[in-house]
Amino acid sequence: MGDSKSEILQGTLDLMVLQTLEAMGPLHGYGIARRIEQISDDVLSLNQGTIYASLLRLQQRRWIAASWGTSENNRRAKFYSITRAGRRQLATEAENWQRIAGVIGRMLRLAER
Amino acid sequence: MLTPLFVLLARLRALVARQRCDAEFDDEIATHLALLTDDYVRRGMTRDEARRAARLAFGGAAQIKEQHREHRGLPFVDATVQDLRYAVRSLRRNPAFAAVTILTLAIGIAAATAMFTVARAVLLRPLPYPEPDRLVEISEVNPLKDWTHTVVAPANLADWRARNTVFTDIAGYIGLDDRGASQYRAFLSGAGDTQALSGIAVMGNLFDVLGTRPLAGRTFSFDETFEGHDGVVVLTYGTWQTIFGADPAIIGRTVALNGRSTTVVGVMPPGFFFPNKSVQFWVPVGVKPDVFASMRQPHWMHTVARLRPGVSLAHAREEMTAIAADLERSYPDTNTKMGVRLEPLHAIMAADARPTVLMLGGSVALLFLIVCANVASLQLGRGVGRAREIAVRRALGAGRARLVRQLLTEGLVLSVAGTAIGVLLALAAPPVLARAAAGVLPLYATPAVDSAVLTFAAVLGLVAPVVFGLMPALTSSRVERLSMRTETASPQATRARETLVACEVGLAVVLVVGSVLLARSLYRLQQVDPGFKPEHVVSFTLSLPHPRYDDPAQARGFIEIERRLKEIPGVQTVGGASALALRGTTYTSTATIEGRPPADYQQELRHKSVTPDYFRTMGIPLLAGRFFDAHDGPTDLVIIVNETLARTYFHGGSAVGHRLKFANPDDTDPWNTIVGVVADEKQDGLDKDTRPEAYSSLAASSQNPLTFVLRSNLSDDAAVAAARQTVRGFDPQVAITDVAPLSDVVAASIGSERFRAALIGAFAGVAMFLAALGIYGVLAYVVSQRARELGIRLALGARRQELFAMVVRQGMRPVAAGTAAGLAAALALTRLVGSILFGVRPGDPASYAVSLTALVAIALAACVLPAIRATRVDPLVALHED
Repeated sequence: MGDSKSEILQGTLDLMVLQTLEAMGPLHGYGIARRIEQISDDVLSLNQGTIYASLLRLQQRRWIAASWGTSENNRRAKFYSITRAGRRQLATEAENWQRIAGVIGRMLRLAER
Repeated sequence: MLTPLFVLLARLRALVARQRCDAEFDDEIATHLALLTDDYVRRGMTRDEARRAARLAFGGAAQIKEQHREHRGLPFVDATVQDLRYAVRSLRRNPAFAAVTILTLAIGIAAATAMFTVARAVLLRPLPYPEPDRLVEISEVNPLKDWTHTVVAPANLADWRARNTVFTDIAGYIGLDDRGASQYRAFLSGAGDTQALSGIAVMGNLFDVLGTRPLAGRTFSFDETFEGHDGVVVLTYGTWQTIFGADPAIIGRTVALNGRSTTVVGVMPPGFFFPNKSVQFWVPVGVKPDVFASMRQPHWMHTVARLRPGVSLAHAREEMTAIAADLERSYPDTNTKMGVRLEPLHAIMAADARPTVLMLGGSVALLFLIVCANVASLQLGRGVGRAREIAVRRALGAGRARLVRQLLTEGLVLSVAGTAIGVLLALAAPPVLARAAAGVLPLYATPAVDSAVLTFAAVLGLVAPVVFGLMPALTSSRVERLSMRTETASPQATRARETLVACEVGLAVVLVVGSVLLARSLYRLQQVDPGFKPEHVVSFTLSLPHPRYDDPAQARGFIEIERRLKEIPGVQTVGGASALALRGTTYTSTATIEGRPPADYQQELRHKSVTPDYFRTMGIPLLAGRFFDAHDGPTDLVIIVNETLARTYFHGGSAVGHRLKFANPDDTDPWNTIVGVVADEKQDGLDKDTRPEAYSSLAASSQNPLTFVLRSNLSDDAAVAAARQTVRGFDPQVAITDVAPLSDVVAASIGSERFRAALIGAFAGVAMFLAALGIYGVLAYVVSQRARELGIRLALGARRQELFAMVVRQGMRPVAAGTAAGLAAALALTRLVGSILFGVRPGDPASYAVSLTALVAIALAACVLPAIRATRVDPLVALHED
C-alpha cells in the first residue's frame, strides 16, 4: 500500500465527510472513515482519528448535526447527519472543487506537452 | 454570515460542559476502536492483533483528544483556568509567601484607595451644579490694604452686575467665617423645639447663577434680595427631611426664624449644597436698596458668577479689571487700588486643602511603589527558588511565553486577593477619615467610595501585577537548562532583588524625611505661645434671640449673663469677646490713628469687643495703662490695643493716651482714646504673625453672638454643665453653641497640621517596615543559599565575626546606594512642601540626620537576624546537605 497513499488537505476531508453523509445518510465516525477509505480504494492514508477534527469543525459550523444512537453491533455511537446548511455548503464547495480540479487538470496537461 | 458566531457559540457551550464533552468523546472513540477491532477480527485477525491494529489505524488517541479539546473550547480560557488552578495550588503550598505578598499589596492598595477617596472628594468630583466649571468667584484685591482675596463691597458688586458683559449674572452671599463654615445662626421655632440652624444670607439671584432647580416650590427672585421682601427661606433637602419630618405641605408653611415670620418657598434637591454642607437654609440678605447703590465699604459679600457661554476666564478677568479701574477713577475715596481677582469656584473652595491632598497623594504614590518593589522582590526570591520547577517544565516543552503567562497569572491571583482586602479596608476608611480629618477637609467634601474609587482600586490591582510580576517572570523563565546552578542563588536574581531593595530604601528615605520635617514643624507649632493660657478655660458662644435683645438690651443681657456665670462656685473669672482667637472669625475696619500718615491707617485694622475681664480670663498680660472696667460705659470712648499695634505705630513710645477712630481721616466719627496696651494673642493661626488689633469695650460696642471664656478649677465637663444651667436659668431661648475647652480650640487650629503629620508618619512607618522586610528577605535567602559556602569557610577557619560582618556588609550595600539616591530625591521633593512647613526649612540638616539614623538603625536590625544565622551554620550539616 504505502507508496501510493496521499496526504489529504483539511478542507478536502471536510468536503468528503459532507459528501459521504449526503450520499449515505446518518453515519457514525467509524462508518464515515470506513466509507471514505473504501471510496478512495484505500489510496488515501487516513489516520481514522483525524476524522473527528473534521466532524467537530463541521458541527461547530452547524453543517452537520449529531445524535446518540446504537450501532450495528449494539454499541452506543454518535450518528452524524448533514443539515440544510451543510447541503448548501456542499453544493458550493463541490462546484469550487470541480472548477479548481478542472484548472489544475488543464495546467498539468499543458505541462505534459 | 453567521458561521463565525455559530463557532463561537459552540466553543462557549463546550467550555461550560467540558467534563461532559470529554466523557462523550471518550465514549465515541471507544466505540470507534471497538467497531474497527470487530472489523479486523472479521478479516481474520486474533482479537489482540485486531485491537493493536485498530489503535494503529486510529492514530494517537491522546493527541486526538487533546486536539479535539483545543478546537472544541476556547484554548485561551482553558489555559487561563488551568493557570489559575495551578497558581492557587502553588500558592497554597507556600502560605507564608502568599500571606506576606497579599497583605503587603492590601496595605498599599488600601492606602492608595483611601487617599484617592479624599482626593476625589476634594479635588476631582465636580460641584453639584450644571456646568460647574463655568462658575467663578470674584474677590477684591488691594495692595494698599494687603488684600489678596477679600470679600467685596455691595456697591462694587452692583456696578459689576450692571457693567459686565461676560457673566450671565453675579450673585452675593454672606455668613461664612474665614474657614468657610456657616456662622449665621438662626433660631427656628414652629417645628417642635426651638432649634439653632446654620445658614447663609444670599442675593435673590444666587440660585439662578448656580442653575439648580428646586426639588419643590421655587427659589428666590432678585427683588427678594431687599428689605421688606425678604421674609422667605429655601431649605436644603436634609433640613426638610430631618427638621420638618419631610412635611409634604412644606411649601408655603410659615415658620419663625429668629422670631420673625418667614415663609418656606422652596426645597432644594438631595445632594445640593452651597457653598458647603454646613449650610442648612438660605434666606435673602434683606438689605436696603441704597446699600447696594452706594456702600463701597465695608466689604462683606462673597460672590459667585457664571461665565456666559463661550467666554473664557481670561477674557472675563480682562473686562472685570477694566471695570474695576473705572470704579477706581469714579470713587477714589474707597476704591483706590481696588482690583478684582477671578478664580474658578471649585479651585477657590479647594485651595486650602489642595497642598495637603497633593502632598498626601504623592506620599501614597511613593508608598505604593515601595509596596510594588517589595512584592517584586518577594516574587523574585520565589522565582529563584522555583528555578528547578521551571527548568523541568521548560524541558517538558512549555513555551517561554506560556511560562511567563503562568507566572503573571500567579501574580494576578495574588493581586486580586490583595486588592479585595485592600478595597475592604478602604471601604472602612471614609468614616475613619471623616473623624480623623474633621476640620481638615473642606466642608463641601465628603469622602465616599463610589464607582470611580472602585475603578481606581481595580486599575491599581491590575497594574500592580504587571509591575511586580513581569520582571521576575522574565528572569525566571530565562532559566534554560537543568543544572546544578539552578539550585543555588542565581546572581542576576539576587542583583535584581538588591536593586529593588535599594529602590525601596530610597523611596522610604523620601517619606521618612518628609514625615520628620512635618513632625518637627508640628512640634514647633505646638511650642508657639498663643499669647493666652488655655488651660482650665472653657469657651462657648451665646446668641441672644432677636429682636427681644436688640440694642441696648443686648449688652445688658450679656453683662448680666457674665455676672451670673461668675457666681458659679469654682469659677475664677469670666470674660466675653465678639470673636475668639484661632476660631476663624475676624472683624476688620478702616481705621485712622491720630497723627499718623495715611500709610498707617489705610491698613484695615482688626478689632473686637470684649468685656472687662476678658484679658484676665484669657491670661493676657497688661503691658501699659489699664484694662477696661465696669465704669467704662456706652458713651466712654476708650480703647485697648495690642502690643503689635503699639510697636508698629508708636515706635517704643507708649501708645496710651493716643487716639484712633474707625473711619477715614476726614470723617467726623469720634476719636477713641487708648487706655491700655495688652500683650499679643494669636489671631488667624499659630503659624501666622500677630497683626495690629484694637479692643473695644462691649458696653460701648455690643456684638451678638458673643463668645464667653470661663476660667475655673472645675473639670471642663462640670464647668460647661454649670454654665449651661446658668444660661438656661437666665433665658432658655439663648442658644449655646461651639462649646469647647480652650485648649481644644488651640489644638483644633493645628488639626490640619497634625492630621498631615500623623498620616505621613504612618506612611513613613509602613515604608520603613517594608524596606526592612525587603532587606531581611533578600539577606535571609542569600544566607540560606550560601549555607554550604559559609560552612566551608567556617571549616577552613573563618571566624564567625567575619561571617557576621560579611553578611551585614552584603545587606547594607543596597541600603547605602538607596539612601544616597533617596537623600538626593528628598532634597528635591521636600522643596515642594516648603510652603506647609513652619519653623523648619525643607533642607533642615537635623531632620535629615534623624531620618538617616532611624533608617540605618532599622536596616541594621533587619540584617542582624540573617547575619546571626550565618554564624550559626554548622559546617558538618552544611557539607552534608548534598
